[in-house]
Amino acid sequence: MAIGPKQALYLLAHPVQLRSIIQWKLWHEPVHKRDPSKEPDTVKSCFHFLDLTSRSFSAVIQELTPELLLPVCLFYLVLRGLDTIEDDMTIPIEEKEPLLRNFKQYMETDGWTFDKNGPDEKDRELLVHFDDVIVELKKVKRPYYDIIADITVKMGNGMADYALNAELNANGVQSVEEYEEYCHYVAGLVGDGLTRLFVEAKLANPHLLGRPDLAESMGQFLQKTNIIRDVEEDFRDNRRWWPKDIWSKYVDKWEDIFKPENRAKALECSDEMVLNALKHTEDCLFYMAGMKEQSVFNFVAIPQAMAIATLELVFRNPAIFDKHIKLNKGDACQLMLESTQNLRVLCEVFRRYVRRIHKKNDPRSRHFLAISVQCAKTEQFIETLFPQQDPTKLAHDGKPGELAQQPNMQVSEAFFLLAAVLGVLFLVGGLMIGSAWLLGARFDQVFRDFDEKVKAGKSLVSSAATAIPSAIRDEL
Amino acid sequence: MASQTKPDLGRVLVIGGCGFLGHHVVNQLVEKYTASVSVIDLRCIRNRRTESDGVKYFDADITDSAKLQSVFEEIKPDVVIHTASPPAQASVSVTHELFKKVNVDGTQAVVDACRSTGVKALVFTSSASVMSDNVSDLINADERWPVIRGEKQTEYYSETKAAAEQIVLEANRTGPSNLLTTAIRPSGIMGEGDTMTIYHLINIYRSGKNNIQVGDNNNIFDFTYAPNVAHAHLLAARALLLTHTSSTVPLDTERVDGEAFIVTNDSPVYFWDFCRAVWAAAGSDKGVKGVWTLSKDVGLVLGFLSECFFGLIRKPPTFNRQRIVYSCMTRYYNITKAKRRLGYKPLVSLDEGVRRSVKWFLEQEKENEKS
Repeated sequence: MAIGPKQALYLLAHPVQLRSIIQWKLWHEPVHKRDPSKEPDTVKSCFHFLDLTSRSFSAVIQELTPELLLPVCLFYLVLRGLDTIEDDMTIPIEEKEPLLRNFKQYMETDGWTFDKNGPDEKDRELLVHFDDVIVELKKVKRPYYDIIADITVKMGNGMADYALNAELNANGVQSVEEYEEYCHYVAGLVGDGLTRLFVEAKLANPHLLGRPDLAESMGQFLQKTNIIRDVEEDFRDNRRWWPKDIWSKYVDKWEDIFKPENRAKALECSDEMVLNALKHTEDCLFYMAGMKEQSVFNFVAIPQAMAIATLELVFRNPAIFDKHIKLNKGDACQLMLESTQNLRVLCEVFRRYVRRIHKKNDPRSRHFLAISVQCAKTEQFIETLFPQQDPTKLAHDGKPGELAQQPNMQVSEAFFLLAAVLGVLFLVGGLMIGSAWLLGARFDQVFRDFDEKVKAGKSLVSSAATAIPSAIRDEL
Repeated sequence: MASQTKPDLGRVLVIGGCGFLGHHVVNQLVEKYTASVSVIDLRCIRNRRTESDGVKYFDADITDSAKLQSVFEEIKPDVVIHTASPPAQASVSVTHELFKKVNVDGTQAVVDACRSTGVKALVFTSSASVMSDNVSDLINADERWPVIRGEKQTEYYSETKAAAEQIVLEANRTGPSNLLTTAIRPSGIMGEGDTMTIYHLINIYRSGKNNIQVGDNNNIFDFTYAPNVAHAHLLAARALLLTHTSSTVPLDTERVDGEAFIVTNDSPVYFWDFCRAVWAAAGSDKGVKGVWTLSKDVGLVLGFLSECFFGLIRKPPTFNRQRIVYSCMTRYYNITKAKRRLGYKPLVSLDEGVRRSVKWFLEQEKENEKS
């Protein structure tokens, strides 16, 4: 992590953040560490491309348990390969569609590579050397491979449908349903695939397979948070994922949301987007309670912790309509420290950030109460996971005959208490003044002094008072 | 939904059916159920349905057991929904005697009348406050939490509600017709017809005190829109009738009879956020900047001074320490039991409930000004 002079200055002024960075660098001990010296060249190549194509996921993937290390890496690379084809506007749609729909066949063809990506496509190298990925895919355990292939087919078809949807490409997402469907294809499916990999490796609770909505929420939460944060960047790239059914309540034309004169409306619109994302928090925490191994927990928890913090960062933040904003490094390191321990610590992160969101909430927004409720519901869910109160203990404490608390003072009682306090105050005060007088203090002098000052003040006031009418006269 | 046949509840008697919660129960019975509806209230003047709805109104005091008995004999109800109670936090103070007379003796009279006239199902409106000692936090509390009684229960209203609930639940599966009973414990009811929560909050707004906050506003509370509470009562009534037709006792994990159910909007919310939502609905355009935050301790001292002052001028204090304690207290509930066993889900969101309640309040006020 390179730190520029500007950042160094910032960190010097924010020692808590600096401390988090140092702590993370010094004390973070990965649960598992991959050992490149024992890896064949094709594996090394895969991790090389992982580093190239993913900034945020590479590190967490490489700390995964050896059982899942390569399968998850390959899963990521395959999906990244699909994405690189979908993203590339230089590939004509007639070519793109079959590539996306038949990607599973290609990834099973020995030696298949693809070099028709435009020169500006940032991840084109991955597809140029895709044969290395294919070699490793062939060696993956069959159940893992089947999961990867299944998700690849689903995502490829989803992407092809989007590429063909002229209406969507021209006008962007219309309804909230379409918005969530988009998030499903780009993120929910990944959640589904990863969950099946974890359960297959016996590193997650198999009941998660019976609750696919939870894995879906994991992906939706990450994707929605990014979509809110990246609104301005996407606008510059001529893309829009905020559904029209939401923003059209606040502005008539999408570009108007970025105009400074519409800030209040834009913020209220972003409230609705944040509220829509916040509804997933309970599912996400519930999902993560199903992780049975530390490295898998870390793998899912780090992005979630970043997401709730990012959601807090973008909430009621007008800057999202001006520039690309992101968490600062100190906070990110602090979050990584906290999300690589256990569910309880992670829950405290969620509680801290929902409380911050609730503190920023504005009563003038029409989503005020709904957001407040969603924050409180997140806290309630944490409470069901880790209850602070134990009813059996409370019932025991409440047994009749035991000492009853008497928190309320009687009014008469309290009155006498106050009288006693005031009495003592006067007595002590009187004694002090009296003894000062006995020792020769000149109170008469003090009062005379004071009198003169008041008189002087009065004359000032009266001269000012006479000055005003003359000023008015001048004005007239 | 509209095309489905309306569930049949037979002859239903709503006690307190002209009251705040009771009239919402009557509304739903008329609109969503097949039922022959009767109402008992002290004086059936307020909140009456129009003649064509066929609701029969009877003036009766439930503490007059002879009168109550005769009305029961006339109606011969299958289901009784007992919502009557003096208000817990009214603008006029209610004496302990009245609370006891209506809530405890009155409920006993209702149970006796149910047993002697072959009522199948009795649903009683209890209160989630029976679990609170009015000082300690209740964090995500469910029905396993103890009911606070005796000297630990500092609110006499709650004490009488708890006693009444006990009478009702102990009457389960007794009597010649095998009466089935259930208690609903709502938390923080507000809605159309509300003379407490919304009334007090709008008063605070009108007197300009809405820029003060006591405590850190991280304390979570449960408020419930009255029609949702009414809905829970009728779901309970349906469940009891269903149990009544069956010859076997349901499993412990599915049982409704003899059980208490906490009912909320399933929307816990930070206390002062709820207040601000009410104020915003009433027209406030204030954000949170410029709000004075007092610590709980400072609030308690001020509350105490207010009590002293009003004590000296011999008037009930408008502001006291208990109010401060309430506004800093965490008191929210887990309603999984009602969701599982009653199939309860709020019909109206908290957000919408606040809007409707405040709108009703303001309209009501305008009408009163006219007349």
